[in-house]
Amino acid sequence: MLVAWLFISLCTQASAQETHSLKGVIVDANSQKPIAGANIIGLNLYAVSSENGAFVIGKIPKGSHHFEINHIGYVTEQLTVDVQGNVENVVVQLKESVTNLDGVELMGKTEQRKAQELSTITVGVSKEFLENNRENSLMQTLRKIPGVSTITIGSGQSKPVIRGLGFNRVSVVQNGIKHEAQQWGNDHGLEIDQYGIEDILIIKGPASLLYGSDAIAGVVDIQPQKIPAPNSFGGEVNLLGETNNDLFGVSTGVQARKEKWFYRGRLTYRDYGDYKVPTDRINYENYIFELHENHLRNTAGREANASFSVGFVSDHIKSETFFSNVNAKNGFFANAHGLEVRNSSIDYDSSSRDVDLPFHQVNHFKITNNTTFYKGEHTLQLDLGYQNNQREEHSEPVPHGYMPTPPDSRERIFTKNTYSLNLKDTYRPVPEHDLVFGINAEYQDNNIGGWGFLIPEYDRLTVGVFVFDHFRIHENLHFQGGLRYDVGLVDTQSHFDWFQTPIDNADGTTSRVYLQRARERSLDFGNFSGSVGLSYLNRNTTYKINLGKSFRMPLANELASDGVNYHMYRYERGNIDLDPEQSYQLDLDVVQATEKFTLGISPFINFFENFIYLNPTPNYYETLQIYEYTQSKVIRYGGEAWVGSNVTDALRLDASVEYVYSRQTSGPKKDFTLPFSPPLSGLFSASYQFKDMAFFQSPRLMADLRVTAAQNEIVPPEEKTEGYQALNISATAGIPLFGKGKPAELRIKLNNVFNTEYYDHTSFYRFIDVPEAGRNLSVSMTFPF
Amino acid sequence: MKLILKHLFCAVFVLMFSACSNSSDSTIDEERPTISINYAEGFPQTCETLERGQTYSFRARVTDNAALASYSLNIHHNFDHHTHDDQGAQCDLGTIKDAVNPLLFIGNHTIENGQTSYEINISVTIPDDIDTGDYHCSFSVTDQTGWQSRTSVDIKIM
Repeated sequence: MLVAWLFISLCTQASAQETHSLKGVIVDANSQKPIAGANIIGLNLYAVSSENGAFVIGKIPKGSHHFEINHIGYVTEQLTVDVQGNVENVVVQLKESVTNLDGVELMGKTEQRKAQELSTITVGVSKEFLENNRENSLMQTLRKIPGVSTITIGSGQSKPVIRGLGFNRVSVVQNGIKHEAQQWGNDHGLEIDQYGIEDILIIKGPASLLYGSDAIAGVVDIQPQKIPAPNSFGGEVNLLGETNNDLFGVSTGVQARKEKWFYRGRLTYRDYGDYKVPTDRINYENYIFELHENHLRNTAGREANASFSVGFVSDHIKSETFFSNVNAKNGFFANAHGLEVRNSSIDYDSSSRDVDLPFHQVNHFKITNNTTFYKGEHTLQLDLGYQNNQREEHSEPVPHGYMPTPPDSRERIFTKNTYSLNLKDTYRPVPEHDLVFGINAEYQDNNIGGWGFLIPEYDRLTVGVFVFDHFRIHENLHFQGGLRYDVGLVDTQSHFDWFQTPIDNADGTTSRVYLQRARERSLDFGNFSGSVGLSYLNRNTTYKINLGKSFRMPLANELASDGVNYHMYRYERGNIDLDPEQSYQLDLDVVQATEKFTLGISPFINFFENFIYLNPTPNYYETLQIYEYTQSKVIRYGGEAWVGSNVTDALRLDASVEYVYSRQTSGPKKDFTLPFSPPLSGLFSASYQFKDMAFFQSPRLMADLRVTAAQNEIVPPEEKTEGYQALNISATAGIPLFGKGKPAELRIKLNNVFNTEYYDHTSFYRFIDVPEAGRNLSVSMTFPF
Repeated sequence: MKLILKHLFCAVFVLMFSACSNSSDSTIDEERPTISINYAEGFPQTCETLERGQTYSFRARVTDNAALASYSLNIHHNFDHHTHDDQGAQCDLGTIKDAVNPLLFIGNHTIENGQTSYEINISVTIPDDIDTGDYHCSFSVTDQTGWQSRTSVDIKIM
C-alpha cells in the first residue's frame, strides 16, 4: 500500500510539468495494414493502438523519450522521440516475427496483453483457436479451455458452464450487448453463429462490476470483429462435413472497406441428421429403447444464420451497426422427452434427417450498434441493442393429469424482446489512470403462449451505474477496482390454466376451477457489487489476485412459477421472497510463459450467501414431485492448472487439469453438492508440426486425450457418473489452390477415436442414460478470397 | 514490490487451503427409495384386466434406507398408446381411440414417522360409466431427502 502511495505521488509530480502529446499509427511492415492492440511503452507512459492502429500518448514532458512497441506476433520495435511540442503522424512499422502459429495456443494475439493486465482471470480466445477446434456448437468448441465446460442437449446445442456454474450465472455478451434468451431453460442452447467470431474474452470469476447481473461465474464476451484495412476486400467460404450426424455446413463471409466506410456480411447454413451413439439400446430406469442403427431418434436439426453490418471509422469516431438473425430447429430424443417416456405412432426411423415431434425452434434477431468517440483524454463508448427471441417447444398433444388433450403441438411459446443501452466513458486524466464511468440499462419484455406453463409473462427493467479505475502503478503493476449499484424492477403477470381442475370444497362438493399459476406481482431489488484486484507482470510471469462480489437478480420463473413440468415429472414452485444472489469470490492466477514453456495455476474460492436452487421436496402435487426454489449458502473452490512445452521446434505438449468442489452449507440439501457439478477432468494434448509435404503447407497433427474422473458428488435427482477417457485426433494443412494468395485451410478431425461409450455428467441427456456421441469424422475446408 | 506480492500470494494460498481443508464429512443420503409390484400381493400386475364396478386394492411395496416420505398413484388412459410400462412385458394394446369419459385417478399420501418399509394400499372403485380400454397405472414414492422412484404398469379396464 505504501508503495502504491509513493507511486501516486510520483505520478502527480510528473504531470505538473509542461506536457505534450504524441500521436501516431502502428502498421504491419508488409501489408501496411493497421495493427490493433500493440503496446507502446515508455517510462511512465503507455498506450495501446486502437482498431485502426492509431495511438495517442498524452501528458509527455519535454525532452527525449524512448518507447518500446511490442505486439505478439511481431518483432519489438524501438522508438526514440525528442518531444519539444505536440508530435503527430508518427508511423511505426512492425515486422512479423517468424514464430509458428500455434494451434493449441489459447491466447489471441491482440487480447493477450490486455488479458494479462486485467486482474480478473481472463482467457483470450483467437480465431485460429476457434477454427482449429471447431465443434458442433460454440460452447463445445470452447470446452478445451481449462475451467470451461458445457451443458449440451443433443449434438447441435450447448450452453456455457464456467467452473461448474451455468444457466443464468454466466453472461454471454456479443458486441458489448448481453445475449438475452430463455437461458434458464434446460433444453435451451446458445443462439449465436459460431462462424465469423474473431476474438472471445472468457472471464472466469466474478464480473458483475462491468457486466451487471448474472456475471457470477464468469463471462463469455464475444468481441466485435476487427475493422478491415482501408481499401480492402476479402472473404472466405467454409465447408464442413461430418459423419456421425451426417452434417453438412457452409458458411461464407465477406468484408470490405473504402476509406471510412466498411461493411461485412455472413451467411451460414448447417443441416444434420440424428446423431449416433456407441450403443444400440438405451436402458433408462426399467425402460429399454432399442436404437435403429445407433441413431438417437429425432435429434436431427438445422440452423440458418445471416448477419450484416455497416460501419464508419474516422480519427474521432468509430461506429458499427450489426444485424443478425439466427434460426434453428432441433429435434429432441423421441423416446423420452425430459424424463418422460413416450410412445408415438410417428415413424421416426423412416429418415434420420427429418425433425418430428418433439422439437423446438428458435429465432433470434439482434441489432446492435457500437459507437466509440475519441475526444482528447476521453473515450466514449455507446452500445445499443435490440433483441427479439422467439422460441417454440412443440410436442405431441397428450393429456396429462387433469389437462385434456391439447388442441395442437404448441406446448410452450416464448417471445422475448430485450432493449439494452450501455454508455461508458474511459477517461485518462494522467497516463497512469484509466477511469471508467458507466451506465447499463436493460429492459426485457417476456411473453408466453402455448398450452404448457412454466414461466410467467414479465417485464423487467434493470439499471446499473459503475465506476472503475485501472491504475498503472508502474508499467508492470496494475491495480483495478470499482463499485457498482444496480436497481431492478420485475413485474410478473398473472396466469390461469386453460383447463379446469376439480377442487374438493369444505362442504364435500367438488367444483371445477381454472387454477391460477402465477400472480401479478411487482418486485424491486437494489444491489451493490464491486471488485478489487492487482496484476503484476514480471518478465515471463504474471501474477494476479482479485476479490469480487457479484450478484444475480432472481428470474421470473424462480420468483413466480407455479406449474407442472410433465417432461421432468415435477411440479415447479417459485418463491416470491427470493433475494438477489450474492456471491463473493477470491481468485489467484500465476502464469509463467516463455517461448519454450508455459505453466499456470488459477485457484479460486467462492462463497454464496444465498444460492437459488430448485430443490426436490419429499411432497407431491397431483402425483408429481414438488420442486421448490430455495436459497442456501454455498461454498465452492477449485481451479485449473496447466503446463505446456515446445519440446522441439516441431513438437508441443500440453496438459491441463480442472476441478471444482461445491457444498451447500445450509438449507434442505445441506452437505450436498450443486446440480451439474463437473467432475475432475484433465486434457492431454500433443501437436506435431511437419515440414511442407507435396502441396500441403505446414501440415500439423494433433491429439487430445480427455481423462475425466467419476462424478460421485450428486444431489437429487442426479445419478453418479463413471469416469471416462476419450481421444480426439485432428490434422490441419494449408493448400495453395489459388497461386500466391492465402492458401485454403484443410482440417480433418476424428472425435471419439475408439467409439467409447461414456456419459457426460453435465449433459442434459445424462438424466435418461444416453451416452455421448460416438466416433465422428469431420472434414472442413476454408477458402479465403 | 516483487517480494510483497510473493508474500501476499503465499498468504492467500495458505488461506485458501486452510479454508478448504476443513470440509465436513457428514454423511448424506444418496440412496433412492425402492418401489415394486413384483411380489404376490402386488397389484395390479402387468397386462391385468380390471372390471368396471369393482373395487380394487392397488398395492406396491416401498422401502428406503433412511425415511420414506410420500407416495402417489396415478391411473390414466392410454387410448393413444402414448407410453408403455416398465415391467418388461409387452401387453396387447387395443386400437387407438379418442377418450370420451376416461377414468382419471390421482392420489397423494404421506408416510408418517419416517418408516423405512411400507406397503402402499389404495382402494379404488372403478366407476361403471367410464371408457373401457387400455389404461396406465403409475406409482411413485419419495424419501425425506427428496429422492424419488417410480414404477408403472399397463392394464386394461373392461
